[in-house]
Amino acid sequence: MEDFSDIIPKIVDATQEIFTGMVMMEISLDGDPIAEVGTMKNSITGMIGLAGIRKGMLAVHFPNSLALAITTSFLGMEVEEMNEDVQDAIGEIANMLGGNVKTILSDKGRDIQLSLPSTISGEEYTFMSQNEVDQIVLPFKAAAGVFFVELELER
Amino acid sequence: MAKNVLLVDDSSTMRKIVGRSLRQAGLDFGEIFEAADGLEALEVLEKEAVDIVLSDINMPNMNGIEFLREKSGRDGIKDIPVFMISTETGDDIIGEAKSLGAVGALKKPFTPDKVNEVLGPFM
Repeated sequence: MEDFSDIIPKIVDATQEIFTGMVMMEISLDGDPIAEVGTMKNSITGMIGLAGIRKGMLAVHFPNSLALAITTSFLGMEVEEMNEDVQDAIGEIANMLGGNVKTILSDKGRDIQLSLPSTISGEEYTFMSQNEVDQIVLPFKAAAGVFFVELELER
Repeated sequence: MAKNVLLVDDSSTMRKIVGRSLRQAGLDFGEIFEAADGLEALEVLEKEAVDIVLSDINMPNMNGIEFLREKSGRDGIKDIPVFMISTETGDDIIGEAKSLGAVGALKKPFTPDKVNEVLGPFM
């Protein structure tokens, strides 16, 4: 099993830095890590792959209402429907977090490559990992809702 | 004289945020051009009067490193300074970017104050 104890505080710091510094939104950790996010409803997930000496995936899962609030804050203009701007903003958050995780997992980011970010969204979908990965899911809360940061690493 | 800036990032959100941060940082710049990858950036540089380029690294079609390499071989545009703005600020990748002519790097996430501190001397 992967020991995430050293990684968790760094992911929390990176997430808070992104939200306070660029999204202009205050967030905090919302309880203990959980095993998996399970079925997402009316949500959007941004994800980015890691390859190299550590293989895996970083995902951020947001309810639509929070994704809209984030995109509105990000762009400085009202965004009321799930559109390309929302997909782009959530993908960029995954990208920024992925860049941080890359640096956390490998000395100065050496020897790990990032994929391009992608997003999935819908009324209901299930996010499941394969058996050969270890994963950690961190719940965060913002004024507009709760979201999850998930890291999967191949054993 | 105010400098014209080219923002190169596959994320339209990030291009808007960088543009907003330039304004919030109080930097003196002229026109802002945008490109979604290195290929588009080269097209803009060949057509427009760009003074400084702010470029992401991780992009489709032509990434930031490939863009620097291609640009360095084109006489009319090779001397236009490029600043990397990326989540990827490891020594190796930034070292490679600088060896190809990049003049500096700004790590995402960033604040307008950081933009001012890092980019100010170049504007």
